[in-house]
Amino acid sequence: MKYSRPETLSQYFDSWSTWNASKVALLAGGTDLIPKYEKGHALPEHLIDIKAIPELQGIVDGENSIEIGSMTTIESLKRSAMIRRYFPALAMAADSFAGAQIRNRATLGGNIANASPAGDTLTPLYAYDTMVRITGRDSDRTVPLSDIVRGPGEVNLRPGQLLQTVILPKSGRSSFFYKLGLRRAMAIAVVNFAVVYSIADHHYTDLVITAGAVAPRVVYLSSLTGAILDDGLPRREYMALVDADISPIDDIRASAEYRRMALKNLVDHYLRHLLERGHGR
Amino acid sequence: MIFTETPAYFDLEVKVNGENVSRRVPTHQRLLDFLRETLQLTGTKEACGEGECGACTVILDGETVNSCLVLAVETHGSEIKTIEGITSGEPPAEIQETFVAEHAVQCGYCTPGFILSAMQLLNSQTEITDEQVREGLEGNICRCTGYQKIHHAVANAGTKP
Repeated sequence: MKYSRPETLSQYFDSWSTWNASKVALLAGGTDLIPKYEKGHALPEHLIDIKAIPELQGIVDGENSIEIGSMTTIESLKRSAMIRRYFPALAMAADSFAGAQIRNRATLGGNIANASPAGDTLTPLYAYDTMVRITGRDSDRTVPLSDIVRGPGEVNLRPGQLLQTVILPKSGRSSFFYKLGLRRAMAIAVVNFAVVYSIADHHYTDLVITAGAVAPRVVYLSSLTGAILDDGLPRREYMALVDADISPIDDIRASAEYRRMALKNLVDHYLRHLLERGHGR
Repeated sequence: MIFTETPAYFDLEVKVNGENVSRRVPTHQRLLDFLRETLQLTGTKEACGEGECGACTVILDGETVNSCLVLAVETHGSEIKTIEGITSGEPPAEIQETFVAEHAVQCGYCTPGFILSAMQLLNSQTEITDEQVREGLEGNICRCTGYQKIHHAVANAGTKP
């Protein structure tokens, strides 16, 4: 296996034409990829380590958005006061992400490109209407995150293209994230969900709820939020509407039925809790 | 750009426990195997091999990582500290003394990883809450002690002047 570590974006793009695209794999934090190799997954002929590219690093506070380089580690997100202030659901997802040793390596871009249905950061990112900047040697486009995630482990990136930055539009709304795991640390979500909301006069005036690990991709609980926004209140009887937007499966962590019930009960509980608290973080 | 001159090997230069080390390593070799097999630093343990348990924890450029999830080539130019490097021999490091005093060790297999996570935690702040101890050790699993004694050892070390 050949190993390359480009140190600028232009080095990466310039070298790409000399590499054989079908034999290349990209390495980010490696926390998912390296144990796969150890378990017998075939090694690529050429491994390109993109962590050292400075254009993929850092958290930048813009006027209307925050831009996060795709190779920013989950620990950096967790420690960022900016993220905690503007996008608390993403900070909460970082808090509940594995343990320190993994957070120090795992990257936001890696969590996106891995496209796990239970990926901790995807659920809040969907709720925030996140955009991603995809750059190639001769291309540069910014598209909704939901456009590039196709299904478990599959993203819509062409060979040579990089997920360069993750763009979170500032909205002034409050937000919240919850992950149900089988233990607090080091657990893959049984279900997770994010809520982005505004409250006025004890009623929800704006509400987006996304849920993970209940479908092949993160889903929006639009049927539920539609009903709630009609009268502003999260009534218990509305929770049945959650079924319209999810398609959970049985697996080693939980049954589909448990996931349905847990998600409805947790969403019900926390929507009431957030309303009682009356404001968000 | 750093790249391999021969397809399967890489001339790695790293600093391990304060000493410069140069070795030709297979590009697919994990940091864990480089430390244990190539450098014979067997204090770093392998248990799960997939990043769940923290037995292989080392400090890479000032941050704890699971050495089973890092390739040796990725550490080119970096500084690595293993359990062998936390003290120059006798006497043991203070945190090691505390683990002994609190009986925070049973079979001992997870201990090097816990010690490094604990040191990282203790170096990061002066006063440590119980919650911070739990969070700082959450990436390490012990199947013997039930964690209470480990927790006490780290909390006590954290409150010493």
